[in-house]
Amino acid sequence: MPPRLNLFTARAVPVLRQSANSSAASRRSFATILNTNRPCAASTGHGLKSGLSASVRTQRRCNSSGSDGQDRPKGPTEDPLPHVSEEAAEVSKIMDKKCDGTPASPELEQGTPISEILQRDKEALKHMPKVMQDQMKRPSGSRSFSTSARRLQPELQGKEFDDASASVVANMISQVNQQATELHPGLKFEVPENLPKTENFRKRYETIVEQFTKLLMQDGKLSKAQNTMAFILDHLRTAPPPNINPRRRLLPGPPAPQLPLNPVLYLTLIVDSVAPLLKLRQQKGIVGGGVSVQVPSPLALRQRRRTAIKWIIDASDKRKDSLFGQRVANELVAVAEGRSGVWEKREQVHKLGVAGRSNLGLVARRR
Amino acid sequence: MVSSFCWSCLTRLPTAPRAILPPTLTAQRVAAFHSSTPLLAGAKKKGDLPVAKYRQAKSAKMKKKKPVERTRPPAVGERRALRKRIVLSNPNALEVEDMQDLSAENMVDARLRGSILGLPVPMLDQLRAVQAFKPKQGWSIFRRPGTVVRRETLELGRLIDGISAEEGENKGKVVRKIITGVKGSGKSVHMLQAMSMAFTKEWVVITVPEAQDLVIANTAYAPLSDENPNVYVQNDATAALLSRIVTANQKVLSKLTVSQPHPALKTAVKPGMTLEALAKPGIQDPAVAWSVFQALWTELTATAPAAGFEKGFKPRPPMLVTLDNLAHWMKETKYNNIDCKPIHAHDLVFVQHFLSLLKPSTEAGKPSLPNGGLILYATSGSNSPTVYGFEVALQQLAARQAGIKPSSPEFPQPDPYLNADKRVLAVFNDSASTKSPASKDRSLELQTIGGLTRDEAQGFMEYFARSGLLRENITDTWVGEKWSLAGGGVIGELEKLGRRLRVIA
Repeated sequence: MPPRLNLFTARAVPVLRQSANSSAASRRSFATILNTNRPCAASTGHGLKSGLSASVRTQRRCNSSGSDGQDRPKGPTEDPLPHVSEEAAEVSKIMDKKCDGTPASPELEQGTPISEILQRDKEALKHMPKVMQDQMKRPSGSRSFSTSARRLQPELQGKEFDDASASVVANMISQVNQQATELHPGLKFEVPENLPKTENFRKRYETIVEQFTKLLMQDGKLSKAQNTMAFILDHLRTAPPPNINPRRRLLPGPPAPQLPLNPVLYLTLIVDSVAPLLKLRQQKGIVGGGVSVQVPSPLALRQRRRTAIKWIIDASDKRKDSLFGQRVANELVAVAEGRSGVWEKREQVHKLGVAGRSNLGLVARRR
Repeated sequence: MVSSFCWSCLTRLPTAPRAILPPTLTAQRVAAFHSSTPLLAGAKKKGDLPVAKYRQAKSAKMKKKKPVERTRPPAVGERRALRKRIVLSNPNALEVEDMQDLSAENMVDARLRGSILGLPVPMLDQLRAVQAFKPKQGWSIFRRPGTVVRRETLELGRLIDGISAEEGENKGKVVRKIITGVKGSGKSVHMLQAMSMAFTKEWVVITVPEAQDLVIANTAYAPLSDENPNVYVQNDATAALLSRIVTANQKVLSKLTVSQPHPALKTAVKPGMTLEALAKPGIQDPAVAWSVFQALWTELTATAPAAGFEKGFKPRPPMLVTLDNLAHWMKETKYNNIDCKPIHAHDLVFVQHFLSLLKPSTEAGKPSLPNGGLILYATSGSNSPTVYGFEVALQQLAARQAGIKPSSPEFPQPDPYLNADKRVLAVFNDSASTKSPASKDRSLELQTIGGLTRDEAQGFMEYFARSGLLRENITDTWVGEKWSLAGGGVIGELEKLGRRLRVIA
């Protein structure tokens, strides 16, 4: 991205120079850079396009002429108030009017151009001097005599250094610049501003859906597992919303009647709600005598979910429905309603984990 | 151990007194002919491994996990019922507020193009009776069933409206169409829309929901009669057909009365008997189903009453005949004849009847559907056998429709080395070339259903969003993207994309 590089070189070099003089000054100038960049980014979004436009704008500011600087809105601190004495002079100039209290018209003070008066006064238009009347009647731009000098040199006539050619060149330059900024190399169309992770064809399913599917898989038959998963999600979508058991609530989320409309979220809530926080490790030789003790160790998110999904699938084995997908789906609903034995498993693990906390000290002492 | 017999004289040696021998020895003396002493064998310890049996493998093996014993295996037909179950409602989905129901007025309304028309709730029973819904069509995720109004739907609506109109150029016309298209393009749903419109207009609807069922040797078959032993009748399938007709068209059939004598029927046909009553015995007794069906067909195609049956004769309504998965009827069946040779599908009398409807006239020279109607036979994109003759026949049909004469060199001809089925080609040639006795009838047409247009696709995706199933901003760009992903708006693929779950976390 050439524009962005330009930006950084243009801005960063003076900053570095200043930092040699005083660190406080450099910090301030860094802050100004950040501040100038921030509103642009915030106003146009987070995408690449906005970044580009911001950088273009900043660049133009850096190498702009005076005219360019004028059209840009001034910040509140950019033109400070005048000196106190100057301000007082201004005020007195405004306030010091005639003593009789009549508001002084600016016309009386400053005078008005004749043309303005003529514009609003039709009567005056009739009685105006003949010279002016003649001037108005004559079509403008066609004098009886020529004021332009003849161009004698033929070679100069060919080259027209007029405004038109300049604008053509400016147009071309701006077009090229635009193309360079808009058309990112390798992209035919502009980059979408927010590409979700699941739009990648390798990750087209949600993380949890994919993990659940792979754990449903038997004998390496992924396609069959995917069918089962589709069945489960459809069941979650069409089954009546769960009656939440107040003692075994799901994790905070939308209210229960809304859950079936978003089956992936529903599934996520179910799995995350029964996922254990820790696992118990049997460790020998800490206390001596060949006795193994249980030491709790924390699980990462994926591991927690894996444990919960395994429990759910194991518990579903005891159901009597003929379809595997149906069994798992029913078990999931049972978990959501707090009827499943998976909750007890989780409580058991947590209880043992709390009891085994003291063994953590033993492990630490051994080291 | 020493034998207790003397080797030379075989007389018994005097036995040692029991008290001398150790007690263990006396206890273990079982096999007298062993030559090694049992004294050396140690006594068995308690915790020893069980002795391996003769020729039993003793290597270290992983224990197999025993399968969980289920108390009850699924009942017979339970899994099939689960597979074939049709769910038409999802109470969790949101109700789409301003969704209109299909009616006689709005089925020709071009302004509704791209929107979803709901199927009227009282009609659902009729549609279920003719098996218009298929299990995998995705009805189960919406609040109530509805279909997209696309270009083909509007054309169909106008056609049905014209045929059943009191007057007009299309009144009483017969239109015959073969519907093809890629997988998921909405051929079966197109026929469902035709059925729902026909029910609205009070036509008689006759359907064959799956042509394959008649040729895979799943129903009983028998020679039709002694006179023609090479034609076979399928009584159970015919009884099922009659049951579909009677259940779905009960309202119409109960108003019509018998107008012809039926000497072939065993039960006496009295004047004034309704057609429903005429058809009922065929459902109850499959043995007479075929003759009852023929009688019913004669009644439905009657234009005037016979002598003695004039009282209460009403003109017969137009008929809609639909058939899904036509290609299965274009090859040999799984049935065998008496010589154990496979029977061609065109030898089944059921199949013969429905294929003869493609021709404008019957063998007797009368029009096949004198009261007008619509014949829609669809091919399948997912379950269709490759029948070369059928493919060529469809190409020829398309060529005829494009105006290519059969004598011209561009007209597609079957490859002589590929053995195209002559009977199949003949069916379509006859249907397309013969002039119909009624000049209004159109000859057989081929209709290819493609994808939705972008506007129709947008309406379809908005339906998903308004049902609460899709959480996206339905913009032109987004719809265009999905439209392209769906192979140019193939509606089955669009449906998959619409129900594909995506949660932006």
